Amino acid sequence: MSWLRNPWGQPRFLPLLTGAYILWSIIPVAIAVLFAFNDGRSRTTWQGFSMRWFTGDPTGSVAHNPEYTAALEHTLILALICVVITVPLGVALALGLQRWRGRGSGSVNTLMLLPLVTPELVMGVALLLLFLNIFNGWGIGTTAQAIGQVTFAISYVVVIVRGRLVSIGREYEEAAADLGAPLHGRLLRVVLPLLAPAILASAGIVFALSIDDFVVTQYLAGGSDTNTVSMLLYATARGAPTPALNALATITLVLTLVTLALAYLVYRKFAGAGGAAEAATLGEM
Amino acid sequence: MEGEVKLETLTKSFGAVVAVDGIDLHMPPGEFFTMVGPSGCGKTTTLRMIAGFERPTSGQILLDGIDVAQTPPHRRNVNTVFQSYALFPHLNVADNVAFGLKYRKATKDERRSRVAEMLGLVQLTGFEKRMPSELSGGQQQRVALARALVLRPRVLLLDEPLGALDARLRKDLQVELKALQAEIGVTFVFVTHDQEEALTMSDRIAVMNGGHVEQAGPPQAVYEEPQTFFVADFLGVSNLIGAQARGKDGNGCRIQIGERSLMAQQGAIDAQGTVKAMIRPERVRVEPQNTPGDNRLPGMVEHAVFLGSFRELRVRLPGGDVVKAVFPNDGSPLTFDEGTPLTLHFPPEALRVLAPSTDGAAPDDVPEEESPNGH
Repeated sequence: MSWLRNPWGQPRFLPLLTGAYILWSIIPVAIAVLFAFNDGRSRTTWQGFSMRWFTGDPTGSVAHNPEYTAALEHTLILALICVVITVPLGVALALGLQRWRGRGSGSVNTLMLLPLVTPELVMGVALLLLFLNIFNGWGIGTTAQAIGQVTFAISYVVVIVRGRLVSIGREYEEAAADLGAPLHGRLLRVVLPLLAPAILASAGIVFALSIDDFVVTQYLAGGSDTNTVSMLLYATARGAPTPALNALATITLVLTLVTLALAYLVYRKFAGAGGAAEAATLGEM
Repeated sequence: MEGEVKLETLTKSFGAVVAVDGIDLHMPPGEFFTMVGPSGCGKTTTLRMIAGFERPTSGQILLDGIDVAQTPPHRRNVNTVFQSYALFPHLNVADNVAFGLKYRKATKDERRSRVAEMLGLVQLTGFEKRMPSELSGGQQQRVALARALVLRPRVLLLDEPLGALDARLRKDLQVELKALQAEIGVTFVFVTHDQEEALTMSDRIAVMNGGHVEQAGPPQAVYEEPQTFFVADFLGVSNLIGAQARGKDGNGCRIQIGERSLMAQQGAIDAQGTVKAMIRPERVRVEPQNTPGDNRLPGMVEHAVFLGSFRELRVRLPGGDVVKAVFPNDGSPLTFDEGTPLTLHFPPEALRVLAPSTDGAAPDDVPEEESPNGH
């Protein structure tokens, strides 16, 4: 055990702890993914590799299970709607907040962060009551689900875009105004191109948030046609499903990871050296 | 001739802080005008008000006789070269230069030829497709110049455009910038904290301090005939010696420094009472101890610095003031070791009387920040 107590080297205990934690957090996911490729019906006994539960099996695979494909389709549609609404709204909010220096700007800034810390369950219940009692004309279903997701996802967009706005500063806008550009010209030709990496990155984050969301989405669901993958996973996990469920989970996991990785890469590539630190915080989200 | 700027009782306050305090300035058309002063003197705020980025609290900005104080920046026919250049990082050199032409009535061919002409003027032909990040500091500065000048502004505003460059390049660009201004005849309003830059480049300078204009005029006049302690101290190195003025005597003023009575022929020769006697280090004559004659003071070498072609001495007077003397290294046999006693000769025509002004704070009494949202 002498290497553990080497006073000249790096502390050994901390890397060990870190390694153990990473293993512990990855193993369950890795096992779940592994059994998506199991050749048998079991989700606990390995019987060889196959793609059977993704496409191969004529009745049990994800591709041939209408309930699964419908959920997958609904999840993706919801995510797209969420991105299309949240990103422009969030960018507009970030721009507005950035320029608002007067009375009340401080409290609004804090309020913008509230959805990030509110327990999702509280938000889900609150939104449900809202749609059942006040906006009962809309009722619950896809529209309510989209509005619910937009409500909490918008904070992320605002935080990311404002970070970028701060690092850009006001000088480019002043230069554009100096060269004769009116407000819309400054926005379209200078501010938005400079914000592009932050906008793309936040689109990726919103997409991933929407795919992963369970609580709000499930409270505001209106029927089986508004089931998402996360809801399906929750409902069937304790039943006796086949590895097709693992395959479904694997598909959403890969979608989420790919979107986040793309968002990270895009941000790093276009934000340049100054954006590297922001990209790093983005990677941690 | 176009390009005349007149500031009339122009004031800007940020909350309780008055950055620019009712200044009046006349910037004649076609001239190279420089506002110089320490950080926080209000020069950048004044420039930003002329550009339109700051709205004056009160006062007028007359551009060729028309008040533009309330006109937004994109409707003013003035353009700015920013301290950090602010080249659009997502556009190449040609697109940066062409940016403002979109808002002018110009055909595509016209635009292209004007961009080419401008890049030629700043010697960057062939750099059209480069991105700003691929250019050196000096090249970026030229692009910023071209981008502003392509719009044929009546006035070009320059906010410390040489500040980010190294000393050598800075000197070269000072000469180039001055030559360019003379060639195109556009009014340049230049802001710098570097007094040497201000003196070498300008047709006219305004020395600013604490939101006021201390003195304005041609560089030589301001340098040779400073009217306040501040200007004397800020422009070049000056010796300011405490003295008592005894009133006018012939074409000069009789002043008392310590026990000696001297004659000063410059400045406030009518003054009475406590004043400062000012003399430039290069005008002080260093002589061997006990050299007889008028306008001479004894002193003792406190510090000698060898500057190659020049020598600089710091000499302590009996009254405690330290006088700097700079003279050419002509191989004179005098020794200047520490503690050597010698005689200083202040020629009457080089000695200036400065009466205390109301707000003549010394340069180092000035707060550091330029303006609440300065750079």
